[in-house]
Amino acid sequence: MIGVVSIRSNIRDFFHGAAYGAYERELRMQAAELNDLFLLLCYMEIVGLPNPATLYLLDVYPYLLEQFHTWHKRMGMERSPLGTLPCC
Amino acid sequence: MRNMLEKKVLFFGGKGGVGKTTCASATALAASHAGKRVLLVSTDPAHSTSDIFEREIGPEPVELLPNLWGLEIDGALESQRYVANVKEQIKGLFGHHILKEANKQIDLAASMPGAEEMALFDRIGGLIRGEDTRFDLIVFDTAPTGHTLRLLRMPELMEAWIRALSRSRQAMLGIEQDDKTDPVLISLTDRLEGLREFRARLLSPRVSAFMLVLVAERLPIEETARAIEQLNDAGVTVGGLVVNRILPASSPDPFLQSRHTQEVVYLDEIDRRFAKHSRVRVPQLASDVHGVKTLEALSEILIPHAQPSRP
Repeated sequence: MIGVVSIRSNIRDFFHGAAYGAYERELRMQAAELNDLFLLLCYMEIVGLPNPATLYLLDVYPYLLEQFHTWHKRMGMERSPLGTLPCC
Repeated sequence: MRNMLEKKVLFFGGKGGVGKTTCASATALAASHAGKRVLLVSTDPAHSTSDIFEREIGPEPVELLPNLWGLEIDGALESQRYVANVKEQIKGLFGHHILKEANKQIDLAASMPGAEEMALFDRIGGLIRGEDTRFDLIVFDTAPTGHTLRLLRMPELMEAWIRALSRSRQAMLGIEQDDKTDPVLISLTDRLEGLREFRARLLSPRVSAFMLVLVAERLPIEETARAIEQLNDAGVTVGGLVVNRILPASSPDPFLQSRHTQEVVYLDEIDRRFAKHSRVRVPQLASDVHGVKTLEALSEILIPHAQPSRP
């Protein structure tokens, strides 16, 4: 038997989705776009643009590796498209 | 010229071969006589301070004379050192797999063109920020003008760049999560702080000044005029001009006489065009400068009575 609590939480989720769903989707997309921009700024040299700050970014690269992985998955690429950046 | 010794950072620049290294070394020597603890830094890839002091100078400060240290910065070495340092830093923070990939990536990035220049810049920045508290005054013997001016513009450029990066990161985090704990943003903010301090000290007239060395000839005069313009643009204080290697006026030799007549014209031009800046004239010495003895003579001409008179 379905409990009252679970019915209540389902109703809450329904209204939450109805009210905020569109916004959240929008925000998620915006965050993803900003993420891409940031990755591009950090990895400019890989696409052939000179980056004056390369050396100052070395210590943040490991943090970005994970993001890079998320990026190429999101772009529909199973494996890393860049030979110079073999993340998987 | 004497008040130059009150600064914390002095640059010596000018066209190749006008005597930057000798003037920088002589000034450093004079300052050390005046009781300052001085570090003489060569940033020119073709180091010659070690030739002047007739001894090996390396990538770490070595004591040359009482109160006087020498340092020759090597871009390739600095970049290796920088990379090793970063690898050490991230060692404990990540798992084996990420580290392996990250190290690969770091090596790649460090081999990009410009990495050496950037590492050189980072080391100079550290020195100017006063990381090494042993010294009262740092004298830079720089590479010929163009290269150095670019280096002086770099804090500005880098600051703008890193600021843009951290803004972009912040905007992203603003949507996703708390930005106080983001290690990427923390690292970027640290860099930004360092660059700001570097630039503030570089542009402060109390802290830093740029000395231009030239000889009384056409090309060096023009280059000096351009350098002053660019330094003004960058906001770096011009400390003064050193007019080097002036020929003796009285000579029976017709060749020297003709050189001298030409020189007088150029000296007038220098006085006219650079009237705003303090100038010091240094005569052509009877022998070239190497070794501490000849350097003493030159430092006495550049900054007279640097030795504090004993009570």
